Amino acid sequence: MKKRSWFAVLSLALVVALVFTVAAGCSKPSKQPTIDKIKKRGVLKVGVKADVLGFGFMNPATKQYEGLEVDIAKRIAKDLLGDSKKVEFTAVTGKTRMGVLDNGEIDMVIATFTITEDRKKLVDFSPVYHVDGIQFLVKKDSGITGLKDTDKKTIGVAKGSDTQDRLAEQAAKLNIKPQFASFETYPEILAALQSGRVQVFATDGSVLKYYESQDKNTVILPDKYSSEEYGVATKKGNDDLRDFVAKVINNMVSSGDLAALKRTWGLGK
Amino acid sequence: MFGLESWQTLLVDWRIFAQGLAQTVLASVLGLALALALGVVMGVLGVVPVRPLRWLNRFYVEFFQNTPLLTQVFFYYYGLPRLGLRLPVLAVGVMGLGIYTGAYIAEIIRAGILSVHRGQLEAAFSQGFRYEEAMRYIILPQAFRVIMPPLTNQFVNLIKNSSILSFIAGYDLMYHADVWSSYNLLYGVAYVTIAALYLCLTLPTATLARRLERRMQATWGGSVS
Repeated sequence: MKKRSWFAVLSLALVVALVFTVAAGCSKPSKQPTIDKIKKRGVLKVGVKADVLGFGFMNPATKQYEGLEVDIAKRIAKDLLGDSKKVEFTAVTGKTRMGVLDNGEIDMVIATFTITEDRKKLVDFSPVYHVDGIQFLVKKDSGITGLKDTDKKTIGVAKGSDTQDRLAEQAAKLNIKPQFASFETYPEILAALQSGRVQVFATDGSVLKYYESQDKNTVILPDKYSSEEYGVATKKGNDDLRDFVAKVINNMVSSGDLAALKRTWGLGK
Repeated sequence: MFGLESWQTLLVDWRIFAQGLAQTVLASVLGLALALALGVVMGVLGVVPVRPLRWLNRFYVEFFQNTPLLTQVFFYYYGLPRLGLRLPVLAVGVMGLGIYTGAYIAEIIRAGILSVHRGQLEAAFSQGFRYEEAMRYIILPQAFRVIMPPLTNQFVNLIKNSSILSFIAGYDLMYHADVWSSYNLLYGVAYVTIAALYLCLTLPTATLARRLERRMQATWGGSVS
């Protein structure tokens, strides 16, 4: 008996030791300015989405990332390293994008990342480069016309997104109680919609467009439930990189390049 | 990442984690019951002198041991509704865990029965026992001693495997930690907390099973370590 409880204590001690090791690793500040580090490395590492058509999308035919956010990354690489090809893309999801930015695997996230007050405490954002809004994708024969019809229904959202909180706030005002189910990736939410696990697929309208095109029995509802302002996220403390990115975005806005790119990707108003 | 503030944020939301823990316990207990029932029946089928039943045992064990649990659960969750059967998510989880772990338990039971010397069965027959009676009174009680230790491992594995419910929005401990941490961006505290909570479930399970095992060894005259 004695021996067993010793094992239990030892296991818990291991967990605690692990915590402190990780914590110690996190608090170590890097003295070297980030831009110098990237220049020495010669390549910019960017986290983008792989499944959001028009923003960050892995084209299965060409095996290349493409979209507005990919083009923004290439532009930053061109201004920073003099070559738009010196970018290394990493596919991220709403759930993983913070982790890989935090552990230094990537330099920045350009992945339909909405600027919120809470997130501002944890990462630095560039100026807004695109504004989107939460919309619903439903089955055509579902009879759902908007949030008001979702009482006791299940709404599928993506893990790591702010969709659930935004919708829950507004549902409370309407005095209805929808249930929420969070999934790892967007295709899983579509599968959940198709198999009747959820009755609504809720996320930013730009994301939904692709999934609507994948299933003829679904339709995007017109109502928007939020104003999502996308920004480029950099790790806190990398002030030089943050300022550089801000300058690039501002230039793209004032020169009209950003508007032109949006037209290319069919994102214009 | 592990600052005092992070822990405070987590404590404020303790109910979310409590809900997750309750769902994990529920899925594990029900899954365990299903796994034991399936495992015992299928395990015995693996040794009966009826060939088609032994084939059934082989098919069950080989198929469910050799495909990923996540694939099986995805099939129950996304696939079955297309065939007209939409089970609630908890039932999907219990079914997935029960059938998968049952395949391992069946193999343990079969091996346990086979470990009992053939002479025991022949002796039982000579005393006028029927096959079922010989199993029930002579073979299974002896096999149980061999079965217990690996069975314990399966119980613990099942509890840990219940975390795959997070992939199908199963509202278990892992799911709530995922959703909470990816929204609050506080991964460290969330996952360390649930690791500790999983330990609180698995360590007592292992300890309890070991004590049971020791008591049985004493009863049956085995060596006490």
